Amino acid sequence: MKKNKSVLLSAPYILWMLLFTLIPLGVVAYYALTDAATGEFTLDNLNALSAYLPVLWESICYALISALICLLLGYPVAYCIAHCTTAVQKFLYMLVMLPMCMSFLLRTLAWVGLLQDTGLINRFLEWIGIGAMPLIRTPGAVILGMVYNYLPYMILPLYSTIVKIDNRLIEAAEDLGCNAVQTFGRVVLPLSMPGIFTGITMVFVPAVSTFYISQKLGGTETVLIGDVIERLFKQGQNQNLGAALSLVLMVLVFVCTGIMNRFGGDDEEGGVIV
Amino acid sequence: MKRANRILTVIMFIFLYIPMAVLIVASFNTGKDMTRFEGFTFGQYAALFRDPDLLRLLGNSLLIAILSTAFSVVFGTVAAVGVHNLKPRLRKIALSLTNIPMTNPDIVTGVSLSLLFIFVGGSLLGQRESLNFFTLLIAHITFSLPYVILNVMPKLQQMNPALQDAAMDLGCTPIQSFFKVTLHEIMPGIVSGGIMAFTMSLDDFVISYFVTGMDFVTLPVEIYTYTKKPIHPKIYAMFTLLFLLIFVLMVTMNLLQLRADKRKKETRVKAVKPAVRIFRRVCAVVLAVCVLGGCVLLISQPKSQTVTLNVYNWGMNIADGTDDTLDIIAAFEEKYPNIRVQYATYESNEVMYSKLKNGGITVDVVIPSDYMIARMIDEDMLLELNFDNIPNFSYVDEEFKYNDFDPENKYSVPYTWGTVGILYNTAYVDEADVTGWELLWNEKYTGKILMIDNSRDAFGIAQYLLGYDVNTTDKAELQACAEKLAEQKPVLQQYVMDQIYSIMQNEEAWIAPYYAGDSMLMMEENENLAFYLPEDQGFNLFIDAMCIPNCCREKEAAELFINFLCDPEISGANMDYICYASPISEAKEYMEEYLAESEVIYPDAEVLAVGTNYQFLPGEISRHVESLFMGVRGSVSEGGDNFGLVLILVIAAVLVIPPVFRLIKRQVKKAKKKV
Repeated sequence: MKKNKSVLLSAPYILWMLLFTLIPLGVVAYYALTDAATGEFTLDNLNALSAYLPVLWESICYALISALICLLLGYPVAYCIAHCTTAVQKFLYMLVMLPMCMSFLLRTLAWVGLLQDTGLINRFLEWIGIGAMPLIRTPGAVILGMVYNYLPYMILPLYSTIVKIDNRLIEAAEDLGCNAVQTFGRVVLPLSMPGIFTGITMVFVPAVSTFYISQKLGGTETVLIGDVIERLFKQGQNQNLGAALSLVLMVLVFVCTGIMNRFGGDDEEGGVIV
Repeated sequence: MKRANRILTVIMFIFLYIPMAVLIVASFNTGKDMTRFEGFTFGQYAALFRDPDLLRLLGNSLLIAILSTAFSVVFGTVAAVGVHNLKPRLRKIALSLTNIPMTNPDIVTGVSLSLLFIFVGGSLLGQRESLNFFTLLIAHITFSLPYVILNVMPKLQQMNPALQDAAMDLGCTPIQSFFKVTLHEIMPGIVSGGIMAFTMSLDDFVISYFVTGMDFVTLPVEIYTYTKKPIHPKIYAMFTLLFLLIFVLMVTMNLLQLRADKRKKETRVKAVKPAVRIFRRVCAVVLAVCVLGGCVLLISQPKSQTVTLNVYNWGMNIADGTDDTLDIIAAFEEKYPNIRVQYATYESNEVMYSKLKNGGITVDVVIPSDYMIARMIDEDMLLELNFDNIPNFSYVDEEFKYNDFDPENKYSVPYTWGTVGILYNTAYVDEADVTGWELLWNEKYTGKILMIDNSRDAFGIAQYLLGYDVNTTDKAELQACAEKLAEQKPVLQQYVMDQIYSIMQNEEAWIAPYYAGDSMLMMEENENLAFYLPEDQGFNLFIDAMCIPNCCREKEAAELFINFLCDPEISGANMDYICYASPISEAKEYMEEYLAESEVIYPDAEVLAVGTNYQFLPGEISRHVESLFMGVRGSVSEGGDNFGLVLILVIAAVLVIPPVFRLIKRQVKKAKKKV
């Protein structure tokens, strides 16, 4: 009796989510398939998209490279945190969380101050006699920005999976004659796979769609798909093309997360949410 | 191995915190440049608390964060209970709906919501201000809700259902049992969900950037426009304070939790109850304070009897009281106490045009340039002015009335005029190279050249260089310009508008085409800078004029404002700060002498004769130019013919194949089971 009634409680929520997540996506599709001036059905916007394929491809590459670097750097950190005492774990977890709560615009701007030709790092290099290097406005700078901003998104889910690994399993592997590398490769790594996949998705999605990082740290050659969408909406006077591009970006991201979820196991809670 | 691991961890933490350290150090700097420490001061903190605008923005951000968190915590907890009791199939659907805003890129969420609000509010309901405080709140609630749901659901699953049954057996109504048992059990989930929702909402930039209107702006969105202009160190001071606040909050939360855990272990049964009860009460009080505070803030928002005037102007284009200039807006508000000015800036005509064209906002006064005014008149985007309310129009010089872009002078009142030339750094650039627009293509200065980031000015420069008419509609000529601009790309450092200030002042770049007035401002900051007009090839002579767009709501107040700015004394004081030429010659008397006599601002008549105006281009040509420029900037090639169809097929395939595949798999399994 009670159960049936409480089910009704979910109705307003489902209605809200339909109204403000699913229907807007329908509106995006509507804009993508209509002409800006006449409002008639057209495929022109979608046809024009083929011109943006190189940009899209480049964005995917940048995001994937950043996700992999985040994994390589984040895994040891997560592993290290997971093997501290509980109190230290909590404190370090907080230290990883903290940057995420601060304005990412200003933190990225601080990187501009560090990396630019007249910036802190180059002045330091000149001072010790190495001489200035081109740091900012290179693909490397964009990847650095992405890695910096999204590293916590990798560390946190990794930590949550690694900390759950039963220590007895590792001991068992060692008892059965595995050396450290074998234990890691055969026990720890396979068990942390779900965290790895969640981490990669959580870095990939914001990285592939960012526009601020590439605008601030990138040069004239590093234009990403997020830049293009932002320009189309904010100054290109072409919302319809922008909508079409957003649609493609969305499908791409859903496909990627779909694949990742397949590998990461069907966890109803969706792994760890940060 | 372990040691290497530890060292790497330490390095990573240093990596995460270096930029913050830079910002914190910068907040104690006397100078404006983040990278040059000139002396220690607390002055930035004092400046922060004296800046009502900044505090108001912070208040806005807090208001939105508090309201959206409060709403999504209550709504989300209730919904989570409902979803938890749904049949598995429906629950799966509800959870995938929850996952949409989580997995969707922020930019897509922002775009989709803004299109929804504009489409439904603007097109269907005919509302003028369809992007406002409430749409921003809805957007924040929408992306906050999943955090609450996804944190509460696991707690509900972990809870022993027998507990609730026991409560009801003991005589609780379902509602009582929820408050006495369930809520108690899921509280940690609610708290962590609420905290996540709060921090996400407070720091959200991307979604707010697309959904925000003119009248209610949050701090991150404003910071985005700040980061284009030279950023004031008081922003760093605010960052430092917020950092400290969040740090202290997190540490205390951690300590409290640790202590609670310890106590739990020591005296399991007895200590738990009071602790939880206290915790619950604290939460209730905090929530109540938040909601109350939110309501108070909401009510204390501008009262309805005062008129709010939305002014939308170029960045750095009005005197704001810094450097001993007159604060024009404050002076206006003082003269007309019942009018409150809401001021926002754009960085190019095109940005302003898109914002107005996209709709969903109210703007009462806007200050576009000549060619854009012509286009807006052509597209019925401007209202005719009532010149009875603008008596000061008589001060405007005759030569600036009845311009080409507004031949009958019905829509516009000139604000400034000026030229577009080349700003360069004499310390690095050889005077012999300064021969004309080709300086911007000079490989000698590769990586030190900036290019203007709007299609009309960029194409104008190419047209002057190639000797074409700047108002050409010939597509072959435009194509040639686009190629010329693409040729320039390898030598460029970046495309900029308002960001130019800090880049040129700290000598990060040496050469840039820009507007005379802004160049003058930069030359005041860095004496190595000089301004050059290519007299042989031609240059743009522009007029920016005040207009009232058709999304205006307070036309009379807007006319009062325009009239106020035409007062020679006010105009002169204004030009002192923005360093442009006033179309009111009487204003010169009120300007600083060195500005009134500057050749950068008021070039000689014979030089001026070489300059040309941008004129009206049909909408189709403007869009063509814009897409060509997009192509130049984004290395975009030509579009294909059947690409759209292929794309739809691919998308359909992606959406259809997995479910079909799953269905087949299930059938096969069933068949196997039967066998």
